Amino acid sequence: MTVHESAPAKPALIAVEEAGREALPAGRSRRGLSRWGKVKRDRSLLLMTLPAVLLLVVFSYVPMFGTVTAFQAYDIFNGFAGSPWVGFSQFQRLFTDPIFWHALQNTLVLSGVQLVLYFPIPIALALLLNSIMSSKVRSLVQGIVYLPHFFSWVLVVTIFQSVLGGAGPLNSYLREHGMATWDIMTNPETFKYLVTAQAIWKEAGWGIIVFLAALAAIDQNLYEAAAADGAGRWRRLWHITLPGMRGVIVLLLVLRLGNALTVGFEQMLVQRDAVGRDASEVLDTFTYYYGVVGNNFSYGAAAGLFKGVLSLVLILAANKVAHMFGEDGLYRR
Amino acid sequence: MHDPLTGAAANRRQFLALAGLGALAASGALAGCSDPKASGPGTTSQSELSKILPNYIPNTAVTPDVAGVQGANGAVSDAVFLKYPSSPVKTVASMPGKGGTYTTMTPLWGAIPPSSGNGYYDAVNAALGITLKMQPADGNTYGDKLPPLFAADKLPDWIQIPGWNTATLNFGQAVSKFVDLSPFLAGDKIKDYPNLANIPGGAWQAGVWNGKLYGLPVYPGGAGITGTYFFRRDIFEKLGINPDSIKTPDDLAALGKQLTSTSAGQWAFDDLVGDDAAYASQLFHFPNRWGVDDAGKLIHKYESPGLIEALNWHAKLVKDGVVHPDAVAGKNQDAKQRFWSGKVTVNSDGTGAWNGDDAKSGTAANPAYRRGAFKLMSSKGAPTVELQPGAGMFAYLNAKLSGDQVKELLAVANYLAAPYGSAEWLVVNYGKENETYTMKEGNPVLTERGGKEVATSFQFLVTPPTPTTVQSGFVDVAKDYGAWQGDMVKYAVKPLFFAMNITEPSQYSSIGQAVKDTMKDVKVGRKPISAFEDAVKAWRSQGGDALRSFYDDIRNKFGTGQ
Repeated sequence: MTVHESAPAKPALIAVEEAGREALPAGRSRRGLSRWGKVKRDRSLLLMTLPAVLLLVVFSYVPMFGTVTAFQAYDIFNGFAGSPWVGFSQFQRLFTDPIFWHALQNTLVLSGVQLVLYFPIPIALALLLNSIMSSKVRSLVQGIVYLPHFFSWVLVVTIFQSVLGGAGPLNSYLREHGMATWDIMTNPETFKYLVTAQAIWKEAGWGIIVFLAALAAIDQNLYEAAAADGAGRWRRLWHITLPGMRGVIVLLLVLRLGNALTVGFEQMLVQRDAVGRDASEVLDTFTYYYGVVGNNFSYGAAAGLFKGVLSLVLILAANKVAHMFGEDGLYRR
Repeated sequence: MHDPLTGAAANRRQFLALAGLGALAASGALAGCSDPKASGPGTTSQSELSKILPNYIPNTAVTPDVAGVQGANGAVSDAVFLKYPSSPVKTVASMPGKGGTYTTMTPLWGAIPPSSGNGYYDAVNAALGITLKMQPADGNTYGDKLPPLFAADKLPDWIQIPGWNTATLNFGQAVSKFVDLSPFLAGDKIKDYPNLANIPGGAWQAGVWNGKLYGLPVYPGGAGITGTYFFRRDIFEKLGINPDSIKTPDDLAALGKQLTSTSAGQWAFDDLVGDDAAYASQLFHFPNRWGVDDAGKLIHKYESPGLIEALNWHAKLVKDGVVHPDAVAGKNQDAKQRFWSGKVTVNSDGTGAWNGDDAKSGTAANPAYRRGAFKLMSSKGAPTVELQPGAGMFAYLNAKLSGDQVKELLAVANYLAAPYGSAEWLVVNYGKENETYTMKEGNPVLTERGGKEVATSFQFLVTPPTPTTVQSGFVDVAKDYGAWQGDMVKYAVKPLFFAMNITEPSQYSSIGQAVKDTMKDVKVGRKPISAFEDAVKAWRSQGGDALRSFYDDIRNKFGTGQ
């Protein structure tokens, strides 16, 4: 693995310099190039993408061959070659398993709740942060909201448990003052809001980076011109800021929908015993408990493959919608 | 040390008669089955077993302060030593290793020590004349790491696999990845390794698969049980509660209100059911895996009425608000801290929790700290407790090793298995004197450096019979534990399929998950008991009934191991 990661690094650096030197002649002879000519022209760019492509091949495409186990009764001692083929019987079992459907339902509900409650928060935060004039205050606030991103989920859940749990300061205070306690950490009904709150606390600060970059790219002259024409704060926000960010927002939304079936494996795993399986089982934990832990790899692989196919459909659909609104989406049409 | 397993072959019909009378505890010397098959899905017949098991040649160089107490059904409590012999005997004449380098993997329930510059590892390796690369991995998730390790064929040279992990590993087939040790150790061949010969035959039994010996016993003992119920003795004494008056689950529950003071952040109980109801099984008389009903039919733990009683009992405790909220939230990894700090007064735990190191951690939180265990309680009649095999964990050698390498590692194993009281035992358990440990009032105590670097690691590769000893200078703890265990062994019974190493068909390996999940919901009152009954119904149709006939077959062919 290390060979793949480190070897192309040096040529890529050289390639950057070359790209700078050759920009002009390449632009001039744009039409009428053979395929080899195009490769030659873009060689520096291609070289630059090489490390990423290699990583993708080694860690994404090669493991994909493992999905054949979804059509086998895979046995860890016989390997891929020695395990018998069973066709679609793993899928048949999967589609008749109520626990699987429940996990899918949980995943979609959680994803929906997070989309509505979580997605707008970093945008709002970025706008607020952008309006702070003092750069010192701004970097201080940024530092504070970034920090939880670097905590592990185990730590985040522990912090929530020790503050909001039944033995934490909140409930101790309520108890001492003769009030009813507030069951936050172990209530299955409100679990979806709890995990969304945790996700916001942990990741919202980190999520603003991209939006801040988009904000920085908006031409300041536009604001000055609009202000001169008498546009107020809200008008400038509506007619300049938001249209300037639209491309990025739509791109992130498309990516988010493609990831809709991934709603946090660790976060669910560490809170499973607190709220029970019914509230916390999502597709990823289903694959883990019924595939890996139960030594039933084929069943887990079938669930994983199904999730992958569904994610592909979702991302293509979202991309289509983005194109309909005249945005680039994942790629230009 | 008594071998708990001699002459334990059970005749099915006779057994059924006994079970019908409810006299499980009385199985004496029984005849074997008339037509025994040599070995089956993992397991081995009694006649084959006698040919493979190493002979037991006890080492009597040191005498304990309190001898082991003979209990029921072959159970025997651990001998108690209150002081390390002042001039430890040498049991290994020359350096066992020939300079080889080997990888290992062992579970560890505790902080993983640094691997490089670890004075303890270096000291043991130097004494062994070999480089064992120690790679302890978190014991709580150890079972999850094993299937991928087998699948990728990345097994280390010497690996420890706990008995409770073999059930889902298709281990009858998996053992082919390991060295068959019978040509090296069976019968009298073990004489080449006198310290290994000091391990009783019963301890080796669960290391036998398909008629061959594969496992080196880890922490062998004649009184292994799943765990028990502990209380804070200092708090009980302060409140004037007599622990011996607590005889039933209801007695225990009645303490709830008195021991709970939410304003002080104190709750009476932690989780008292245990993972997969492992602890409650003793309290409510249900088997940990399979048992028989009055008609002699095999019934699984999940189908036992006792389990439903246990879940109802615990759900009521939670409802009454006498179980710590963090325990209700499933934060079991902090259970020991809650107990040490007095936030919880009664909990359930493995018996291994009761030792000098525990007292050290507990007294650090509260100088008055003292752990006590209730005498075995019971929901009805006299208590019983299921005995575990002579060893619950085994270590295996990789089949890719050459014959010479195997011999080198067995010689090393012989050193690691040096009994308590020997010079080698001190090295294996404590490292180098004045670096990682010092002798204090006749017992070894870890230095500050030792506290960081010494962890149970080499012991998990093979362990001599394990007496109760003084750790961290807490003499009372060794005495308390010895006395409690001496009483406990009187109630021991052998469960069905005792030490038989049966490999279940792999398609049933995940059917229990849904039941376990539902149990967690029911025991804290998130779901009614009917949800559990539904889950068990589903379990039966998904393979539980098939498993029953599978085990019926085993019972017909090989007996019950009792």
